[in-house]
Amino acid sequence: MPNIVVLVKQVPDTYSERKLNESDHTLDRESADAVLDEINERAVEEALKIKEASEGEVTVLCVGPDRATDAIRKALSMGADKAIHVSDESLHGSDMVATAKVIAAAIGRVEGVDLVIAGNEASDGRGGAVPAMLAELLGMPQLTHARQVTVDGSTVQVDRETEEGLTHLEAGLPAVISVTEKINEPRYPSFKGIMAAKKKPVETLTVADLGVDAGEVGLANAWSTVLEAAPKPPRTAGQRVDDEGDGGTKIAEYLVGQKLI
Amino acid sequence: MRFALSAEQRQFAESLTGLLSAADVATVARRWAGGEHEPGLKLWRRLAEVGVTALAVPEHRDGLGAGAVELVVAFERLGYHGVPGPWTDTAAALPALLDDELLAGVAAGETLASLRWDPHVPHALDADVADTRIAVDGTDLRVFTPGRSLSGVDGSRRLFEAVPGDVIASCPDPGRAFDQAALATAAQLLGAGRWLLDRSVDYARQRVQYGRTIGEFQAVKHLLADVATRLELAGPLVYGAAVALDAGGDVPRDVSAARVAAADAAYLAARTGLQVHGAIGYTAEHPLGLWLAKVRALTGTWGTQAFHRSRVLTALRAGSVR
Repeated sequence: MPNIVVLVKQVPDTYSERKLNESDHTLDRESADAVLDEINERAVEEALKIKEASEGEVTVLCVGPDRATDAIRKALSMGADKAIHVSDESLHGSDMVATAKVIAAAIGRVEGVDLVIAGNEASDGRGGAVPAMLAELLGMPQLTHARQVTVDGSTVQVDRETEEGLTHLEAGLPAVISVTEKINEPRYPSFKGIMAAKKKPVETLTVADLGVDAGEVGLANAWSTVLEAAPKPPRTAGQRVDDEGDGGTKIAEYLVGQKLI
Repeated sequence: MRFALSAEQRQFAESLTGLLSAADVATVARRWAGGEHEPGLKLWRRLAEVGVTALAVPEHRDGLGAGAVELVVAFERLGYHGVPGPWTDTAAALPALLDDELLAGVAAGETLASLRWDPHVPHALDADVADTRIAVDGTDLRVFTPGRSLSGVDGSRRLFEAVPGDVIASCPDPGRAFDQAALATAAQLLGAGRWLLDRSVDYARQRVQYGRTIGEFQAVKHLLADVATRLELAGPLVYGAAVALDAGGDVPRDVSAARVAAADAAYLAARTGLQVHGAIGYTAEHPLGLWLAKVRALTGTWGTQAFHRSRVLTALRAGSVR
Protein backbone atom coordinates (compact mmCIF):
# COMPACT_ATOMS: atom_id res chain seq x y z
CA MET A 1 0.00 0.00 0.00
CA PRO A 2 2.39 2.71 -1.11
CA ASN A 3 1.88 6.23 0.12
CA ILE A 4 2.88 8.41 -2.81
CA VAL A 5 3.62 12.12 -3.04
CA VAL A 6 3.64 13.64 -6.53
CA LEU A 7 5.33 16.97 -7.11
CA VAL A 8 3.46 19.21 -9.51
CA LYS A 9 4.26 22.63 -10.84
CA GLN A 10 2.21 25.19 -12.66
CA VAL A 11 4.13 26.57 -15.63
CA PRO A 12 3.44 28.98 -18.48
CA ASP A 13 1.90 27.13 -21.41
CA THR A 14 4.70 25.82 -23.61
CA TYR A 15 2.81 27.03 -26.66
CA SER A 16 2.61 30.63 -25.47
CA GLU A 17 5.35 33.25 -25.46
CA ARG A 18 7.23 33.15 -22.19
CA LYS A 19 8.81 36.27 -20.71
CA LEU A 20 10.93 37.37 -17.77
CA ASN A 21 10.07 40.33 -15.56
CA GLU A 22 12.23 43.30 -16.50
CA SER A 23 12.78 44.37 -12.91
CA ASP A 24 14.06 41.18 -11.26
CA HIS A 25 14.42 38.71 -14.18
CA THR A 26 12.06 36.20 -12.59
CA LEU A 27 9.38 34.48 -14.61
CA ASP A 28 6.55 36.78 -15.68
CA ARG A 29 3.65 34.54 -14.73
CA GLU A 30 1.02 36.99 -15.88
CA SER A 31 2.22 37.09 -19.47
CA ALA A 32 1.15 33.58 -20.41
CA ASP A 33 -1.58 31.03 -19.77
CA ALA A 34 -0.71 28.84 -16.82
CA VAL A 35 -1.05 25.08 -17.07
CA LEU A 36 -0.10 21.98 -15.12
CA ASP A 37 3.32 21.04 -16.50
CA GLU A 38 2.88 18.20 -18.95
CA ILE A 39 5.61 16.10 -17.38
CA ASN A 40 3.75 16.35 -14.06
CA GLU A 41 0.63 14.92 -15.67
CA ARG A 42 2.76 11.91 -16.44
CA ALA A 43 4.09 11.83 -12.88
CA VAL A 44 0.51 11.90 -11.57
CA GLU A 45 -0.49 9.17 -14.05
CA GLU A 46 2.36 6.95 -12.86
CA ALA A 47 1.38 7.47 -9.23
CA LEU A 48 -2.24 6.60 -10.04
CA LYS A 49 -1.16 3.46 -11.89
CA ILE A 50 0.87 2.31 -8.90
CA LYS A 51 -2.03 3.14 -6.60
CA GLU A 52 -4.50 1.25 -8.77
CA ALA A 53 -2.26 -1.81 -8.80
CA SER A 54 -1.83 -1.98 -5.05
CA GLU A 55 -4.08 0.66 -3.48
CA GLY A 56 -2.37 3.32 -1.39
CA GLU A 57 -2.82 7.05 -1.40
CA VAL A 58 -1.64 9.80 -3.73
CA THR A 59 -0.91 13.26 -2.38
CA VAL A 60 -0.19 16.11 -4.75
CA LEU A 61 2.36 18.65 -3.57
CA CYS A 62 2.67 22.02 -5.23
CA VAL A 63 4.80 25.03 -4.40
CA GLY A 64 3.54 28.08 -6.23
CA PRO A 65 1.41 31.19 -6.12
CA ASP A 66 -2.32 31.15 -5.35
CA ARG A 67 -3.39 30.58 -8.92
CA ALA A 68 -1.50 27.27 -8.95
CA THR A 69 -4.72 25.84 -7.45
CA ASP A 70 -5.84 25.25 -11.06
CA ALA A 71 -2.91 22.89 -11.61
CA ILE A 72 -3.66 21.17 -8.31
CA ARG A 73 -7.34 20.76 -9.31
CA LYS A 74 -6.31 19.11 -12.53
CA ALA A 75 -4.11 16.60 -10.70
CA LEU A 76 -6.94 15.90 -8.25
CA SER A 77 -9.46 15.49 -11.05
CA MET A 78 -7.16 12.92 -12.67
CA GLY A 79 -7.60 10.90 -9.46
CA ALA A 80 -5.11 12.01 -6.78
CA ASP A 81 -6.59 11.87 -3.27
CA LYS A 82 -5.49 15.11 -1.62
CA ALA A 83 -3.16 18.02 -2.02
CA ILE A 84 -0.73 20.26 -0.18
CA HIS A 85 -0.25 23.73 -1.59
CA VAL A 86 2.67 25.79 -0.30
CA SER A 87 1.93 29.36 -1.22
CA ASP A 88 3.93 32.25 0.20
CA GLU A 89 4.95 35.61 -1.23
CA SER A 90 8.40 35.20 0.29
CA LEU A 91 9.08 32.26 -2.04
CA HIS A 92 9.10 34.52 -5.10
CA GLY A 93 12.39 34.08 -6.96
CA SER A 94 13.60 31.13 -4.88
CA ASP A 95 16.37 29.08 -6.44
CA MET A 96 16.36 25.30 -6.75
CA VAL A 97 18.11 24.73 -3.42
CA ALA A 98 15.51 26.77 -1.54
CA THR A 99 12.68 25.14 -3.50
CA ALA A 100 13.99 21.68 -2.63
CA LYS A 101 14.18 22.63 1.06
CA VAL A 102 10.59 23.82 1.07
CA ILE A 103 9.40 20.69 -0.74
CA ALA A 104 11.35 18.47 1.65
CA ALA A 105 9.75 20.23 4.62
CA ALA A 106 6.29 19.82 3.10
CA ILE A 107 6.87 16.13 2.41
CA GLY A 108 7.81 15.81 6.09
CA ARG A 109 4.19 16.62 6.91
CA VAL A 110 2.88 13.57 5.06
CA GLU A 111 3.09 10.50 7.26
CA GLY A 112 4.87 7.38 6.06
CA VAL A 113 5.83 8.45 2.54
CA ASP A 114 6.98 5.50 0.45
CA LEU A 115 7.54 7.17 -2.88
CA VAL A 116 8.05 10.69 -4.17
CA ILE A 117 7.42 11.06 -7.90
CA ALA A 118 8.46 14.15 -9.84
CA GLY A 119 8.90 15.09 -13.46
CA ASN A 120 12.54 15.07 -14.58
CA GLU A 121 12.46 18.81 -15.20
CA ALA A 122 9.93 21.62 -15.38
CA SER A 123 9.33 23.08 -18.81
CA ASP A 124 9.94 26.65 -17.60
CA GLY A 125 13.09 26.56 -15.42
CA ARG A 126 14.50 23.37 -16.99
CA GLY A 127 17.01 22.98 -14.15
CA GLY A 128 16.18 19.34 -13.63
CA ALA A 129 18.01 19.21 -10.30
CA VAL A 130 15.18 19.49 -7.76
CA PRO A 131 14.43 15.73 -7.58
CA ALA A 132 18.09 14.94 -6.87
CA MET A 133 18.42 17.73 -4.29
CA LEU A 134 15.24 16.56 -2.65
CA ALA A 135 16.49 12.98 -2.38
CA GLU A 136 19.65 14.31 -0.73
CA LEU A 137 17.68 16.42 1.76
CA LEU A 138 15.29 13.57 2.59
CA GLY A 139 18.07 11.02 2.78
CA MET A 140 16.31 8.82 0.23
CA PRO A 141 17.74 7.06 -2.81
CA GLN A 142 17.20 8.89 -6.08
CA LEU A 143 16.11 7.15 -9.26
CA THR A 144 15.92 9.87 -11.86
CA HIS A 145 15.00 9.98 -15.57
CA ALA A 146 12.80 6.92 -15.29
CA ARG A 147 11.07 5.68 -18.41
CA GLN A 148 9.66 2.70 -16.60
CA VAL A 149 8.85 2.17 -12.93
CA THR A 150 7.98 -1.07 -11.16
CA VAL A 151 7.08 -1.17 -7.49
CA ASP A 152 7.45 -4.59 -5.95
CA GLY A 153 6.77 -4.86 -2.24
CA SER A 154 9.33 -2.69 -0.53
CA THR A 155 11.57 -2.14 -3.54
CA VAL A 156 11.29 -0.07 -6.67
CA GLN A 157 12.91 -0.77 -10.03
CA VAL A 158 13.49 1.85 -12.65
CA ASP A 159 14.74 1.93 -16.22
CA ARG A 160 16.75 5.12 -16.31
CA GLU A 161 17.24 6.61 -19.74
CA THR A 162 19.70 9.39 -20.46
CA GLU A 163 21.76 10.39 -23.46
CA GLU A 164 24.47 8.00 -22.25
CA GLY A 165 22.17 5.02 -22.42
CA LEU A 166 19.88 2.88 -20.35
CA THR A 167 20.58 1.87 -16.76
CA HIS A 168 18.50 -0.40 -14.56
CA LEU A 169 18.23 0.82 -11.00
CA GLU A 170 16.74 -0.71 -7.90
CA ALA A 171 16.27 0.80 -4.48
CA GLY A 172 14.44 0.13 -1.26
CA LEU A 173 11.47 2.30 -0.39
CA PRO A 174 11.13 5.11 0.47
CA ALA A 175 12.69 6.66 -2.63
CA VAL A 176 12.53 9.65 -4.93
CA ILE A 177 11.77 9.05 -8.61
CA SER A 178 11.74 11.45 -11.52
CA VAL A 179 10.04 10.42 -14.74
CA THR A 180 10.63 11.32 -18.40
CA GLU A 181 8.17 11.91 -21.20
CA LYS A 182 8.35 8.25 -22.24
CA ILE A 183 6.92 6.95 -18.98
CA ASN A 184 3.23 6.85 -20.00
CA GLU A 185 0.31 8.64 -21.62
CA PRO A 186 -1.55 10.63 -18.99
CA ARG A 187 -5.32 10.12 -18.70
CA TYR A 188 -7.85 12.87 -19.35
CA PRO A 189 -9.86 13.92 -16.32
CA SER A 190 -13.37 12.43 -16.46
CA PHE A 191 -16.51 14.32 -15.54
CA LYS A 192 -16.76 12.19 -12.41
CA GLY A 193 -13.15 12.93 -11.50
CA ILE A 194 -13.64 16.65 -12.03
CA MET A 195 -16.71 16.71 -9.79
CA ALA A 196 -15.02 14.55 -7.14
CA ALA A 197 -11.98 16.86 -7.10
CA LYS A 198 -14.14 19.66 -5.74
CA LYS A 199 -14.54 17.80 -2.47
CA LYS A 200 -10.94 16.64 -2.04
CA PRO A 201 -8.94 18.30 0.72
CA VAL A 202 -6.28 20.86 -0.18
CA GLU A 203 -4.08 21.97 2.70
CA THR A 204 -2.57 25.41 2.13
CA LEU A 205 0.65 26.15 3.98
CA THR A 206 3.06 29.04 4.31
CA VAL A 207 6.82 28.88 4.74
CA ALA A 208 6.38 29.64 8.44
CA ASP A 209 3.92 26.70 8.80
CA LEU A 210 6.64 24.44 7.47
CA GLY A 211 9.21 25.77 9.91
CA VAL A 212 11.51 26.89 7.12
CA ASP A 213 13.53 30.03 7.86
CA ALA A 214 12.36 32.87 5.63
CA GLY A 215 16.03 33.89 5.34
CA GLU A 216 16.69 30.74 3.31
CA VAL A 217 14.16 31.38 0.54
CA GLY A 218 13.26 34.03 -2.00
CA LEU A 219 15.13 36.00 -4.60
CA ALA A 220 17.42 37.78 -2.14
CA ASN A 221 18.66 34.50 -0.69
CA ALA A 222 19.21 32.65 -3.95
CA TRP A 223 22.71 31.26 -4.44
CA SER A 224 22.93 32.70 -7.92
CA THR A 225 21.73 36.00 -9.32
CA VAL A 226 20.60 36.84 -12.82
CA LEU A 227 22.39 40.09 -13.69
CA GLU A 228 21.02 40.61 -17.15
CA ALA A 229 18.54 39.00 -19.51
CA ALA A 230 17.75 39.66 -23.14
CA PRO A 231 14.99 38.16 -25.26
CA LYS A 232 16.02 35.59 -27.79
CA PRO A 233 16.90 37.35 -31.07
CA PRO A 234 14.28 36.71 -33.76
CA ARG A 235 15.11 34.01 -36.24
CA THR A 236 16.92 35.41 -39.25
CA ALA A 237 15.71 34.56 -42.70
CA GLY A 238 17.38 31.44 -44.03
CA GLN A 239 19.70 31.29 -46.99
CA ARG A 240 17.84 30.50 -50.18
CA VAL A 241 19.34 28.20 -52.74
CA ASP A 242 17.90 28.21 -56.25
CA ASP A 243 18.29 24.90 -57.94
CA GLU A 244 19.88 25.31 -61.32
CA GLY A 245 20.91 21.72 -61.59
CA ASP A 246 23.50 22.14 -58.86
CA GLY A 247 21.16 22.50 -55.83
CA GLY A 248 22.53 19.41 -54.14
CA THR A 249 26.10 20.61 -54.42
CA LYS A 250 25.19 24.01 -53.02
CA ILE A 251 23.44 22.47 -50.02
CA ALA A 252 26.45 20.24 -49.41
CA GLU A 253 28.75 23.26 -49.62
CA TYR A 254 26.60 25.11 -47.11
CA LEU A 255 26.62 22.18 -44.70
CA VAL A 256 30.42 21.85 -45.07
CA GLY A 257 30.70 25.59 -44.37
CA GLN A 258 28.75 25.08 -41.15
CA LYS A 259 31.05 22.14 -40.32
CA LEU A 260 28.00 19.87 -40.22
CA ILE A 261 29.33 17.39 -42.73
CA MET B 1 -29.96 32.82 -14.16
CA ARG B 2 -26.26 32.31 -14.62
CA PHE B 3 -25.02 31.72 -18.15
CA ALA B 4 -21.28 31.48 -17.54
CA LEU B 5 -19.98 27.93 -17.35
CA SER B 6 -18.66 26.75 -14.00
CA ALA B 7 -14.99 25.95 -13.47
CA GLU B 8 -15.88 22.24 -13.56
CA GLN B 9 -17.80 22.53 -16.84
CA ARG B 10 -14.90 24.40 -18.43
CA GLN B 11 -12.47 21.80 -17.14
CA PHE B 12 -14.62 19.04 -18.63
CA ALA B 13 -14.60 20.83 -21.99
CA GLU B 14 -10.80 21.18 -21.76
CA SER B 15 -10.47 17.49 -21.02
CA LEU B 16 -12.54 16.62 -24.12
CA THR B 17 -10.51 19.09 -26.20
CA GLY B 18 -7.30 17.41 -25.08
CA LEU B 19 -8.59 13.92 -25.82
CA LEU B 20 -10.12 14.79 -29.21
CA SER B 21 -7.26 17.01 -30.41
CA ALA B 22 -4.90 14.06 -30.05
CA ALA B 23 -7.27 11.56 -31.71
CA ASP B 24 -7.10 12.54 -35.42
CA VAL B 25 -10.89 12.58 -35.62
CA ALA B 26 -10.93 13.51 -39.33
CA THR B 27 -9.35 10.17 -40.19
CA VAL B 28 -11.72 8.36 -37.84
CA ALA B 29 -14.68 10.08 -39.56
CA ARG B 30 -13.44 9.16 -43.04
CA ARG B 31 -13.06 5.53 -42.04
CA TRP B 32 -16.48 5.56 -40.38
CA ALA B 33 -17.92 6.87 -43.65
CA GLY B 34 -16.33 3.90 -45.39
CA GLY B 35 -18.07 1.47 -43.06
CA GLU B 36 -14.95 0.85 -41.01
CA HIS B 37 -16.24 1.32 -37.48
CA GLU B 38 -13.41 0.12 -35.28
CA PRO B 39 -11.48 3.43 -34.86
CA GLY B 40 -14.77 5.23 -34.25
CA LEU B 41 -15.90 2.70 -31.67
CA LYS B 42 -12.55 2.96 -29.94
CA LEU B 43 -13.00 6.74 -29.75
CA TRP B 44 -16.56 6.14 -28.52
CA ARG B 45 -15.27 4.05 -25.63
CA ARG B 46 -12.60 6.61 -24.74
CA LEU B 47 -15.22 9.36 -24.64
CA ALA B 48 -17.41 7.08 -22.52
CA GLU B 49 -14.52 6.67 -20.07
CA VAL B 50 -14.45 10.41 -19.44
CA GLY B 51 -18.21 10.33 -18.98
CA VAL B 52 -19.82 11.65 -22.18
CA THR B 53 -22.26 8.76 -22.64
CA ALA B 54 -23.19 8.73 -18.93
CA LEU B 55 -24.05 12.42 -18.54
CA ALA B 56 -27.80 12.17 -19.17
CA VAL B 57 -28.19 8.67 -17.72
CA PRO B 58 -29.70 8.77 -14.21
CA GLU B 59 -27.59 7.66 -11.28
CA HIS B 60 -29.75 4.61 -10.53
CA ARG B 61 -28.79 3.34 -14.02
CA ASP B 62 -25.07 3.83 -13.31
CA GLY B 63 -25.05 7.20 -15.01
CA LEU B 64 -23.88 10.59 -13.83
CA GLY B 65 -27.30 12.26 -13.72
CA ALA B 66 -25.74 15.48 -14.95
CA GLY B 67 -27.75 18.35 -16.40
CA ALA B 68 -28.47 19.58 -19.89
CA VAL B 69 -25.74 22.22 -19.53
CA GLU B 70 -23.12 19.49 -19.18
CA LEU B 71 -24.66 17.73 -22.16
CA VAL B 72 -24.35 20.91 -24.22
CA VAL B 73 -20.73 21.36 -23.13
CA ALA B 74 -19.93 17.84 -24.34
CA PHE B 75 -21.89 18.01 -27.60
CA GLU B 76 -20.36 21.36 -28.51
CA ARG B 77 -16.95 19.66 -28.31
CA LEU B 78 -18.19 16.61 -30.29
CA GLY B 79 -19.38 19.00 -33.00
CA TYR B 80 -16.19 21.02 -32.94
CA HIS B 81 -14.09 17.93 -33.54
CA GLY B 82 -16.53 16.31 -35.96
CA VAL B 83 -16.85 13.04 -34.03
CA PRO B 84 -18.86 10.45 -36.00
CA GLY B 85 -21.49 8.11 -34.57
CA PRO B 86 -25.06 8.12 -33.22
CA TRP B 87 -24.18 10.41 -30.30
CA THR B 88 -27.42 12.37 -30.23
CA ASP B 89 -29.59 9.24 -30.36
CA THR B 90 -27.60 7.40 -27.71
CA ALA B 91 -26.36 10.00 -25.24
CA ALA B 92 -28.99 12.75 -25.53
CA ALA B 93 -32.35 11.25 -26.60
CA LEU B 94 -32.46 7.66 -25.32
CA PRO B 95 -31.74 8.40 -21.62
CA ALA B 96 -34.79 10.71 -21.56
CA LEU B 97 -36.98 8.31 -23.57
CA LEU B 98 -37.06 5.35 -21.24
CA ASP B 99 -35.82 4.23 -17.86
CA ASP B 100 -34.48 0.79 -18.56
CA GLU B 101 -31.50 -1.28 -17.54
CA LEU B 102 -30.07 -0.90 -21.03
CA LEU B 103 -29.11 2.64 -20.00
CA ALA B 104 -26.33 1.15 -17.89
CA GLY B 105 -24.83 -0.09 -21.15
CA VAL B 106 -25.21 3.38 -22.64
CA ALA B 107 -23.41 4.92 -19.65
CA ALA B 108 -20.58 2.40 -19.94
CA GLY B 109 -20.16 3.13 -23.64
CA GLU B 110 -21.12 -0.42 -24.64
CA THR B 111 -24.56 0.29 -26.09
CA LEU B 112 -25.09 2.41 -29.19
CA ALA B 113 -28.61 3.44 -30.10
CA SER B 114 -30.22 4.49 -33.35
CA LEU B 115 -33.60 6.21 -33.34
CA ARG B 116 -36.24 6.92 -35.91
CA TRP B 117 -38.62 9.68 -35.00
CA ASP B 118 -41.23 10.54 -37.58
CA PRO B 119 -41.36 13.05 -39.13
CA HIS B 120 -38.27 14.78 -37.68
CA VAL B 121 -35.83 11.89 -38.01
CA PRO B 122 -37.16 9.85 -40.93
CA HIS B 123 -34.06 7.70 -41.36
CA ALA B 124 -32.05 5.81 -38.78
CA LEU B 125 -28.48 6.97 -38.20
CA ASP B 126 -25.77 4.30 -38.00
CA ALA B 127 -28.44 1.61 -37.58
CA ASP B 128 -25.96 -1.06 -38.70
CA VAL B 129 -23.59 -0.45 -35.83
CA ALA B 130 -26.22 0.41 -33.19
CA ASP B 131 -27.47 -2.47 -31.05
CA THR B 132 -30.52 -0.68 -29.69
CA ARG B 133 -32.94 0.41 -32.43
CA ILE B 134 -36.12 2.20 -31.54
CA ALA B 135 -38.74 3.89 -33.67
CA VAL B 136 -40.74 6.49 -31.77
CA ASP B 137 -44.33 6.39 -32.94
CA GLY B 138 -46.37 8.87 -30.90
CA THR B 139 -46.06 7.51 -27.38
CA ASP B 140 -45.24 3.99 -28.60
CA LEU B 141 -41.68 2.78 -28.78
CA ARG B 142 -41.20 0.08 -31.41
CA VAL B 143 -38.16 -1.93 -32.31
CA PHE B 144 -37.09 -1.58 -35.91
CA THR B 145 -34.87 -3.48 -38.23
CA PRO B 146 -32.47 -1.63 -40.51
CA GLY B 147 -33.47 -1.79 -44.17
CA ARG B 148 -31.84 -0.32 -47.25
CA SER B 149 -28.83 1.94 -46.73
CA LEU B 150 -29.44 5.45 -48.02
CA SER B 151 -27.05 8.05 -49.29
CA GLY B 152 -26.93 11.35 -47.45
CA VAL B 153 -25.11 14.64 -47.75
CA ASP B 154 -22.70 13.73 -44.94
CA GLY B 155 -20.91 10.47 -45.68
CA SER B 156 -19.94 10.00 -42.05
CA ARG B 157 -23.64 9.97 -41.11
CA ARG B 158 -24.68 6.55 -42.42
CA LEU B 159 -28.43 6.46 -42.83
CA PHE B 160 -30.75 3.47 -43.10
CA GLU B 161 -34.39 2.84 -43.74
CA ALA B 162 -36.10 1.74 -40.57
CA VAL B 163 -38.67 -1.05 -40.74
CA PRO B 164 -40.74 -0.81 -37.51
CA GLY B 165 -41.75 -3.93 -35.63
CA ASP B 166 -43.45 -4.63 -32.29
CA VAL B 167 -44.18 -2.12 -29.59
CA ILE B 168 -41.73 -2.76 -26.74
CA ALA B 169 -42.58 0.09 -24.42
CA SER B 170 -44.37 3.36 -24.23
CA CYS B 171 -43.17 6.81 -23.34
CA PRO B 172 -46.00 9.03 -22.10
CA ASP B 173 -44.04 12.22 -22.68
CA PRO B 174 -41.38 11.89 -25.37
CA GLY B 175 -41.05 15.70 -25.58
CA ARG B 176 -38.13 15.88 -23.21
CA ALA B 177 -36.14 13.33 -25.24
CA PHE B 178 -36.87 15.19 -28.44
CA ASP B 179 -35.87 18.55 -26.99
CA GLN B 180 -32.72 17.11 -25.50
CA ALA B 181 -31.79 15.68 -28.92
CA ALA B 182 -32.62 18.93 -30.73
CA LEU B 183 -30.51 20.84 -28.22
CA ALA B 184 -27.61 18.39 -28.58
CA THR B 185 -27.85 18.97 -32.32
CA ALA B 186 -27.76 22.73 -31.76
CA ALA B 187 -24.68 22.33 -29.59
CA GLN B 188 -22.97 20.23 -32.25
CA LEU B 189 -23.80 22.87 -34.85
CA LEU B 190 -22.37 25.58 -32.61
CA GLY B 191 -19.18 23.55 -32.18
CA ALA B 192 -18.92 22.77 -35.90
CA GLY B 193 -19.41 26.47 -36.68
CA ARG B 194 -16.63 27.37 -34.27
CA TRP B 195 -14.31 24.84 -35.89
CA LEU B 196 -15.09 26.26 -39.34
CA LEU B 197 -14.40 29.80 -38.11
CA ASP B 198 -11.14 28.83 -36.38
CA ARG B 199 -9.81 27.01 -39.44
CA SER B 200 -10.87 29.86 -41.74
CA VAL B 201 -9.11 32.41 -39.53
CA ASP B 202 -5.98 30.23 -39.46
CA TYR B 203 -6.07 29.95 -43.22
CA ALA B 204 -6.65 33.67 -43.76
CA ARG B 205 -3.54 34.34 -41.67
CA GLN B 206 -1.47 31.92 -43.69
CA ARG B 207 -2.52 32.24 -47.30
CA VAL B 208 -0.67 34.97 -49.20
CA GLN B 209 -2.12 36.68 -52.26
CA TYR B 210 -1.10 39.96 -53.89
CA GLY B 211 1.88 40.13 -51.56
CA ARG B 212 0.04 39.85 -48.26
CA THR B 213 -1.94 37.39 -46.20
CA ILE B 214 -5.56 37.38 -47.28
CA GLY B 215 -6.67 38.07 -43.70
CA GLU B 216 -5.28 41.58 -44.10
CA PHE B 217 -7.91 42.39 -46.71
CA GLN B 218 -10.88 44.09 -45.17
CA ALA B 219 -13.38 42.18 -47.28
CA VAL B 220 -12.12 38.88 -45.82
CA LYS B 221 -12.04 40.31 -42.30
CA HIS B 222 -15.66 41.36 -42.59
CA LEU B 223 -16.75 37.94 -43.77
CA LEU B 224 -15.11 36.30 -40.78
CA ALA B 225 -16.30 38.95 -38.33
CA ASP B 226 -19.89 38.33 -39.44
CA VAL B 227 -19.49 34.63 -38.71
CA ALA B 228 -17.91 35.33 -35.31
CA THR B 229 -20.82 37.62 -34.41
CA ARG B 230 -23.46 35.08 -35.42
CA LEU B 231 -21.78 32.29 -33.48
CA GLU B 232 -21.30 34.56 -30.49
CA LEU B 233 -25.02 35.36 -30.49
CA ALA B 234 -26.08 31.74 -30.96
CA GLY B 235 -23.97 30.55 -27.99
CA PRO B 236 -26.07 32.11 -25.20
CA LEU B 237 -29.27 30.78 -26.78
CA VAL B 238 -27.86 27.25 -26.73
CA TYR B 239 -26.64 27.48 -23.13
CA GLY B 240 -29.84 29.32 -22.15
CA ALA B 241 -31.99 26.51 -23.56
CA ALA B 242 -29.95 24.04 -21.51
CA VAL B 243 -30.64 26.08 -18.38
CA ALA B 244 -34.35 26.04 -19.30
CA LEU B 245 -34.24 22.24 -19.64
CA ASP B 246 -32.60 21.93 -16.22
CA ALA B 247 -34.46 24.61 -14.33
CA GLY B 248 -37.75 24.75 -16.14
CA GLY B 249 -39.09 27.36 -18.53
CA ASP B 250 -40.58 27.40 -22.00
CA VAL B 251 -38.41 24.51 -23.14
CA PRO B 252 -39.74 23.95 -26.70
CA ARG B 253 -39.44 27.66 -27.48
CA ASP B 254 -35.94 28.01 -26.07
CA VAL B 255 -34.63 24.80 -27.62
CA SER B 256 -36.04 25.70 -31.02
CA ALA B 257 -34.69 29.25 -30.87
CA ALA B 258 -31.27 27.83 -30.01
CA ARG B 259 -31.45 25.28 -32.83
CA VAL B 260 -32.47 27.90 -35.42
CA ALA B 261 -29.73 30.33 -34.38
CA ALA B 262 -27.02 27.68 -34.10
CA ALA B 263 -27.88 26.15 -37.47
CA ASP B 264 -27.99 29.55 -39.20
CA ALA B 265 -24.67 30.56 -37.65
CA ALA B 266 -23.01 27.24 -38.50
CA TYR B 267 -24.34 27.37 -42.04
CA LEU B 268 -22.92 30.86 -42.50
CA ALA B 269 -19.62 29.60 -41.06
CA ALA B 270 -19.66 26.78 -43.60
CA ARG B 271 -20.41 29.03 -46.60
CA THR B 272 -17.88 31.61 -45.50
CA GLY B 273 -15.31 28.98 -44.64
CA LEU B 274 -15.53 27.55 -48.12
CA GLN B 275 -15.21 30.98 -49.67
CA VAL B 276 -12.19 31.95 -47.55
CA HIS B 277 -10.46 28.65 -48.22
CA GLY B 278 -10.97 28.97 -51.96
CA ALA B 279 -10.47 25.92 -54.13
CA ILE B 280 -8.53 23.94 -51.50
CA GLY B 281 -11.74 23.72 -49.45
CA TYR B 282 -13.40 21.68 -52.19
CA THR B 283 -10.77 18.98 -52.25
CA ALA B 284 -11.34 15.63 -50.59
CA GLU B 285 -7.83 15.84 -49.06
CA HIS B 286 -8.74 18.91 -47.01
CA PRO B 287 -10.88 18.22 -43.94
CA LEU B 288 -13.07 21.29 -44.52
CA GLY B 289 -15.53 19.25 -46.58
CA LEU B 290 -16.25 16.94 -43.62
CA TRP B 291 -17.56 19.87 -41.59
CA LEU B 292 -19.39 21.49 -44.51
CA ALA B 293 -21.35 18.29 -45.02
CA LYS B 294 -21.91 17.77 -41.31
CA VAL B 295 -23.41 21.25 -40.87
CA ARG B 296 -25.76 20.74 -43.79
CA ALA B 297 -26.88 17.35 -42.48
CA LEU B 298 -27.35 18.47 -38.86
CA THR B 299 -29.41 21.45 -40.00
CA GLY B 300 -32.04 19.06 -41.34
CA THR B 301 -32.22 16.52 -38.53
CA TRP B 302 -34.12 16.51 -35.23
CA GLY B 303 -36.50 18.97 -36.81
CA THR B 304 -36.04 21.19 -39.83
CA GLN B 305 -35.39 24.88 -39.47
CA ALA B 306 -39.01 25.49 -40.57
CA PHE B 307 -40.32 23.21 -37.82
CA HIS B 308 -38.24 24.94 -35.15
CA ARG B 309 -39.19 28.39 -36.40
CA SER B 310 -42.85 27.40 -36.22
CA ARG B 311 -42.42 26.29 -32.61
CA VAL B 312 -40.91 29.67 -31.73
CA LEU B 313 -43.77 31.39 -33.54
CA THR B 314 -46.40 29.32 -31.73
CA ALA B 315 -44.84 30.19 -28.39
CA LEU B 316 -44.72 33.89 -29.24
CA ARG B 317 -48.33 33.89 -30.36
CA ALA B 318 -49.36 32.16 -27.16
CA GLY B 319 -47.83 35.12 -25.41
CA SER B 320 -45.31 33.21 -23.37
CA VAL B 321 -42.68 35.90 -23.85
CA ARG B 322 -41.13 36.83 -20.56
